Amino acid sequence: MEYEVTIGLEVHCEVKTHTKMFSPSLNAYEEMANSNVTEIDLAFPGVLPTVNYEAVKKAVKMSLALNCKVPEKMYFDRKNYYYADLPKGYQITQTHDPVGTNGYINVYVGEEVKKVLIHDIHLEEDTASLDHYDNYSLIDYNRAGIPLLETVTEPCLHSAEEALAFLDALRKIFIYCDISEARTDRGQMRCDVNISLAPKGSQVLGTKVEMKNINSFANVKAAIEYEIERQKEALNKGERIIQETRRYDDVDCKTYRMREKVESIDYKYFIEPNIPPYKLEKEFIEEIRKTIPPLQFERISKYINEYGISHYDASVIVKDKSVAEYFEKCLELGINPKTSANWVTSIILAHLNKTETSIEDLYLTPKMLKQIINLIEEGKISSKQAKEVFYKVVEDKKGPLKIIEELGIKQTSDDSAIRTIVQSILDNNQNLIEEYKGGRSNVLDFFVGQVMKQTRGQANPMMTSSIIKEEIGKR
Amino acid sequence: MSYIKGTIEEIRKAMDEKKVTSEELVNESLKLAHTYEKEYNAFVTICDDAKEENNVKDNPLKGIPCAIKDNISTKGVLTTASSNILKNYIPFYDATVVTKLKEAGAISIGKTTLDELAMGGTGTAAHTGIVKNPWDKNRLIGGSSAGSAAAVSLGIVPFALGSDTGDSIRKPAAYGGIVGYKPTYGLISRYGLFPFACSLDHIGCFTRSVKDVAYVLDCLKGKDEKDMTSLDTKTNFINELTNDVKGKKVFYIKEMLDRNNYKDDYDEELEEILNNFDEAMKKCKELGMEVEEVSFDIKLLEAIFPTYFTISCAEATSNNSNLTGIIFGPRGEGKTVEEIMFDARTKGFSELIKRRFVLGSYILQKENQEKLFLNAGRIRRLIVNKMNELFKKYDAMILPAQGAVAPTFRSEDIDKLSNRYLLLENHMAIGNFGGFPSITIPCGFVNKMPIGLSITGAVKKDIDVLNIAYAIEEKYPYKGQIAKEVK
Amino acid sequence: MITKEKLKDYAHKLMFDMNDEEYDTLLKEFDVMLKQMDLIGNIKDISCVEPMTFPFELDSVELRNDEESRNIEIEEVLSNAGSKKGREVRVPKVVE
Repeated sequence: MEYEVTIGLEVHCEVKTHTKMFSPSLNAYEEMANSNVTEIDLAFPGVLPTVNYEAVKKAVKMSLALNCKVPEKMYFDRKNYYYADLPKGYQITQTHDPVGTNGYINVYVGEEVKKVLIHDIHLEEDTASLDHYDNYSLIDYNRAGIPLLETVTEPCLHSAEEALAFLDALRKIFIYCDISEARTDRGQMRCDVNISLAPKGSQVLGTKVEMKNINSFANVKAAIEYEIERQKEALNKGERIIQETRRYDDVDCKTYRMREKVESIDYKYFIEPNIPPYKLEKEFIEEIRKTIPPLQFERISKYINEYGISHYDASVIVKDKSVAEYFEKCLELGINPKTSANWVTSIILAHLNKTETSIEDLYLTPKMLKQIINLIEEGKISSKQAKEVFYKVVEDKKGPLKIIEELGIKQTSDDSAIRTIVQSILDNNQNLIEEYKGGRSNVLDFFVGQVMKQTRGQANPMMTSSIIKEEIGKR
Repeated sequence: MSYIKGTIEEIRKAMDEKKVTSEELVNESLKLAHTYEKEYNAFVTICDDAKEENNVKDNPLKGIPCAIKDNISTKGVLTTASSNILKNYIPFYDATVVTKLKEAGAISIGKTTLDELAMGGTGTAAHTGIVKNPWDKNRLIGGSSAGSAAAVSLGIVPFALGSDTGDSIRKPAAYGGIVGYKPTYGLISRYGLFPFACSLDHIGCFTRSVKDVAYVLDCLKGKDEKDMTSLDTKTNFINELTNDVKGKKVFYIKEMLDRNNYKDDYDEELEEILNNFDEAMKKCKELGMEVEEVSFDIKLLEAIFPTYFTISCAEATSNNSNLTGIIFGPRGEGKTVEEIMFDARTKGFSELIKRRFVLGSYILQKENQEKLFLNAGRIRRLIVNKMNELFKKYDAMILPAQGAVAPTFRSEDIDKLSNRYLLLENHMAIGNFGGFPSITIPCGFVNKMPIGLSITGAVKKDIDVLNIAYAIEEKYPYKGQIAKEVK
Repeated sequence: MITKEKLKDYAHKLMFDMNDEEYDTLLKEFDVMLKQMDLIGNIKDISCVEPMTFPFELDSVELRNDEESRNIEIEEVLSNAGSKKGREVRVPKVVE
C-alpha cells in the first residue's frame, strides 16, 4: 500500500543577544557552570522578569522574514509545569498572541519551489541544563533564561528531503538576519518532528508521532526516514500507530518510545501579569523590516532568472551571505554575472575552503577582481596569468597591478613590437611558410610558440596569431 | 521621655532637636519588640544588631526604626513569608523598597509575621503561630500583614511595610486603629516582594498618621528598572499634602450602606458601623467636600469577592511553583527529583495554602478557565471601568473599611455567602482590581474595637486620596494613637 | 462533579499531598467556592468583555536595554541549596 507522509516541525533556535531574555545575566552558557546567572534566572522569591529589547527586535525581524502577521502588542504567557530544569515552575513563552502567525517561506527542494506554511513563531526562554552522573544529576543554570525563538510549521511537509530543505532555509534566515548563529553543533538549533502516515489519497491525517529534541539536521533526516519505514511496516501488518513521543538514538539510528500520550498535559496557560503588553508601533516594525537583507530564496531566484546563472552555482553562492554580497558587489561593479559566478564558485571559494578563511578576510576586493578581469578582457594578461595574480594578491596582500608589475607579467599587445619579431621569424623560416600555404595549419602554432619564446610568454597570443597570418599573407 | 511611640513627624523633630538619637530609638524599639513578642507574635525575626547604614544623606526617615513584612526580601536576614517551605531561607538580595529604606537611613528592627505566603486575612496562618490584636488579645488583628499592623499599633515602630493583594494592609490597619495605605499599582516597586497574585499585589505601609504615609511614600515611590510595571511620579507628597479639601467631590456606594441589604445578618454592631459612617460623611461635608450617593450594580458588588478569590488563587498557584526545595528552602526526601519536590511541598505548605493552590489550579484548568478565570477577569474589568467612570466625576470613594470589628479567635465561621461578608467585608479589593490608591484611617470604636474608613481614588491620584484622608483625620482624635494608651 | 479522587489528582499534579480529612475540608470549600462563582455567573452577556490582566494600561512600557549585564557570585547561587556539588545544585538522577 502507498502512504502519504505528513510532517510538521517545531524548531527552537537561540537568539543572539548580550543578556538573557528576562534578566540581565550574560547570554553565554558555555562558560563555567552557574557563572552567568542572577537571582532572576534561579527564581529566588520576589524576582520579576524584564524583557530584553534586542530579543524583541530580533523576534519581530524573524517574524517579518517568515512573512508572519505581527500582533499590535507583545504579550507573554506562562506555561506551568514542574521539572528539575525549570526553576520558576513555569516557562515564560507566548501562546495566545505570539510575535508571528500565519506566515510562509518558499524553499528550494532540489530545483523545485516548495511553499512551507508557518503556523507561528514565538519568543520564550530556555531551561537550565542537567548534567547526569551515575546516581545523581547536577543543575547548571547558565542556559536558563536564554532567549529562544520557536518556529512551528503547519503539517505541510511530505518527505525528509522537504523537511531538510526547510530546516536549511530557516537556518539561513536566522544567520542572514543576524538573529542567531544557529549552530546545531552547539545545540543552538533543536528540532521536534511530528510525523504521520496515511493511505495515499486519504482525507484525514494518520496518528501523529512526536520525536523530541533532535539536535542535528542529519539526525532529523535519519529519524524521519527510520520513522517512515517503521510506521509503513506496522501499517502494512495492520497494526495501529500509537500516539506517542519517541526518542531518536543516533548510535543505532533508531527511534524509541519515551512515553505514550495518555492525556495531554494541561499547562494552564495564562498571561504573564508581570510584563505589561508592549505596543509594537507600525514605525518600529517598518524600521525593523528595513534591516532584513535579501534572503536566500530571493537571491537564488534572481541569480537564475535575471543573471542566467545555474541553479547549482546560485545555491553555492548564497550558502554564505557574505559570499552572496561579494558576488552582488562584483555585479554592481559591472563584471559579467557568469564571469563573477565562475570566479566566486571556483577560484575564490576553493581558496577559502583550502585556507579555512571567510570571505570577509579575503584581501582581494571585488574592485580588485574587476581590475584583473579587465586586464584579461583587454588582452593584457591571460586567464592563466590571472589565476597566478589572484593567488599572489591574497598571499602578499598587495593590489593586482602592483603584483603584475612585480612579477613582470604583462602581455605585450604592442603591434609593432610583435610584428618586428614575427617578421624576423618568418624571414628565417621561408620553407615553413610554404608548408603552411600548402595546408599544414599546425605550422601556425610553431610560429606562435616561437614568438612566445622570444617574448618570454608576454605576447598576446590572439594578437600574435593574427599578425602572423597577416604577415604570411603579405608574402 | 520616650520618643519611639511618636509619629515619624514627631520623632524627626525630636531627633533634629537632638533630644534623642537614632541609637536610643532603635534600642527602645527593640526592647518593645521583645517585650510584646510573646503576647502578640508580631515578628518572625527581631534584628538585634539593627543599625543605620553608612553614608546616608539627610532625609526625614534617617535614623528612624521600622519593621518589614516577612515576605519582602532582605539581604542576609531570614525571610520566611511565614511558611515552613521557606523557614530557613536567607536571601542574598534586597527588595527595591529595602534598598530605598537603607539609602534613606531608616532602620529595620525586624521582619513581621504574616498569614503564610500572604494568603489569608486573619493573621492566624503563620508557621510561627497566630498574631493577636493589641486592642484585645482575644481577637485577631487581621491579615495578611498582621505583624506589621500589630507592631505599629503597639507603638514598637512608627511605620512598617506591608503588602496588599485584596486588603491585606488596609483591613488589619482598620482592625488595629492605625493608618494603612496602598498606593497606585506600580508607584512602589514590587521587586523583592514574594508574590501572592502579581496583578493585584502592592507594597504599602502602616503608620499612625496620614502625614507619615507621605514621608514613607516619598522614600519608596518611583520607577524601578527591575519592575516593568513600576511608575514614575513627579509628586512630592510631603510638600503637596494639604488639608484644604474644599470643593472635593466624594461618593459612597448606596448599595453598600443600604440597611435593607443586610436584613439577614443585621445586628447592633453593624448598625453602629453604619451610623459611624454617616457621622464620617457629616464631617466630610463640614470640611467643604461634596458627598454624593452613587448606585452600583449589586450583582457586580456581590461578585467582588469571588472575582478576587478566583484571580488571586489562580495566580498564586503559579507564582509559588518555584517553592520546591531545590535551590532554596528545606530539601525534601526522595529518590527522584519529583519525589523530593513532592515531599518538600507536602511538608512545607499548610493545609490552607494547599487548598488555595488546588482551587487555583482548578480555576486555570483548560476546561474551567473560560468560565472561571477569564470570566473573573471580565468582571474585574466591568468593575474597574465603572470605577474609572466615577472617578471622572469624583475625587474619591469613601466606604466603611469593614462590616464587623476584628473577630475573636473563637468566632464561628462567618457566612461567606452573606451580603455583609460579600459587600462590606470585601469591597476593598476594588482598589487592587484597578490599582487604585487606597487608604484606611481610624474613625472610631465599636464594641471597644477600632474601626476604619476606606478612601479610594483614581489611578495616579494618590495625593488626592492622602489629602482627603489628611483632612478627615483632623476631624478625629485618633491621630498617632497606640492601642494600649487608648484603652 | 468534583470528587475526592479528582482533588487528589489535582494536588498531586501540584506536587503535594494532603491527608484524608484535609481533602474532605477541601471538598466542602469547593462547594462554597463554586456557589460564589455562581455570583460571577449571575452577570450576563460578558463574553464580549476582554478579561482584565493588568490593573491599567501603562502610557509607556520600557524594555530592558541589552547592554548592561550583571551576575551573582557562586556562593550566593548555592547559599540556600540543600544539596550541591562543585558549582552546581545536586539532585537525584533525572531520568529523561
